[in-house]
Amino acid sequence: MADTPKPASDGERITMTFIETTTTALLTLAIYSFLAGDNPFYKFVEHLLVGLTIGYTLVITIKSVIWPEAVLPITQGQFQTVVPLVLGGLILLRLVRRWAGWSRISLALVVGGGAGVAIPAMLKARVLDQMTATMAGVTSPAGWIILAGVLSTLTYFVFTRAHRGVWGTSARLGRYFMMVFFGATFAYTVMSRVALLIGRLEFLLGDWLGLLRS
Amino acid sequence: MNLSRRWIFALVAIATVTTLIFRPGLPLSVSRETRHVYEMIESLDSGAVVMLSFDHEASSLPEMRPLGAAIVDHCFRRKVRIVGLALFSEGTAAGYELISQRANAAGKSYGTDWIYLGFRPQYTSAILGMGENIGDVFSQDYEGHPLVSTTLGSRIHNYHDIAFVISLAAGSMPTYWVEYAQARYQVKIVAALTAVMVTSYLPYLESNQLSGIIAGLRGAAEYEQLLGVPGAGSRGMDAQSAVHALIAVLILAGNVQAWRTRRSRHPMESESR
Repeated sequence: MADTPKPASDGERITMTFIETTTTALLTLAIYSFLAGDNPFYKFVEHLLVGLTIGYTLVITIKSVIWPEAVLPITQGQFQTVVPLVLGGLILLRLVRRWAGWSRISLALVVGGGAGVAIPAMLKARVLDQMTATMAGVTSPAGWIILAGVLSTLTYFVFTRAHRGVWGTSARLGRYFMMVFFGATFAYTVMSRVALLIGRLEFLLGDWLGLLRS
Repeated sequence: MNLSRRWIFALVAIATVTTLIFRPGLPLSVSRETRHVYEMIESLDSGAVVMLSFDHEASSLPEMRPLGAAIVDHCFRRKVRIVGLALFSEGTAAGYELISQRANAAGKSYGTDWIYLGFRPQYTSAILGMGENIGDVFSQDYEGHPLVSTTLGSRIHNYHDIAFVISLAAGSMPTYWVEYAQARYQVKIVAALTAVMVTSYLPYLESNQLSGIIAGLRGAAEYEQLLGVPGAGSRGMDAQSAVHALIAVLILAGNVQAWRTRRSRHPMESESR
């Protein structure tokens, strides 16, 4: 009978948590040290992050996709996954200059199939449904504002006609609508970035230093 | 006057740290959008199934985790079952850890109350494939069990068995859910977003292509308020408000200073205006 691993004692768990938290805290501080200027600590953690991300993605892809969905079925006698595996393998031939042309077969399938699936879906969701909603929304004051915003912004992007007179006024209105959009987007971006800072400082002050009330 | 960027960093750090430590408890109102998502889950029957897709990277966890935690807690409280998955590799472990942690706290069991499908690359084919048969896309769950061997896994065949999909996203993934799941299979999509993505998705909400939006740390704090359980979202909101006020003051001061500098350089131009 194989030896079962002994469960960790309370002391071991506390030590592990301390090492884990302190390592994370030091890595966070190394990243924030960039605010004072570029330095070797920042560079080290930046490279560590890139390496870890690639390694993690590779492991997850092998564990969740390649092994259970492609290799395992073959070992169980289901050979239909051989075709996508071979096509995937052909893409890797790009790395060998002499056989690189073979990768075009797989790429052609990906591009052709991808475009065929994506173009009608994008056209429907991003253009037709949006246009329908814009036209159907004019039953309310907000709907009229949206319609005015869409039309005036579109006139701004017509460059084959001089922006003068009524056309110019509409284009200027479109520019104001876009400025409101940029302002709102900037404010939301600030909100997002501040949230990231709060997340890290909460970790440093709370989990690491224990200064925050729970 | 030329203020060094480092002073701004220091001011932001001071504002954040002091409000995190002292927590003044600033008031927070609940937005219409967050309340709508809350009511969507509230209106589900016990035993209904919600699909939770972790479409984000580790870098957005400070926003995504409080949002995800509030939604998962609400689902478990309402006895709504959760099918988790990830279309971004980095979201895979984060999603699994989040749901299993909340499930343990709520006394929910794996296989019956929730399952985790794991990660699939090529989100287009994954989203489309699940519309036909979820088992074809995920023959096994994240833990390696055949999908049909779990009670919940054997109940879900395609989007018809799912009340709605919630995409916890830090990028453009809700667009693909709308394009390939909502438009094609008429499944309802809710986007739980980082704040930076909100303006990109409001048009989809106005056109009813998205059934709901809940966004950022503020969205999480609002949701926690509706649940009556303050969590990470609520803890961060005081600091968020303080830093926003500081940044607004700095922007105003910067504009006044820029206007004064321009006026002193070109007094005639300013007067003619």
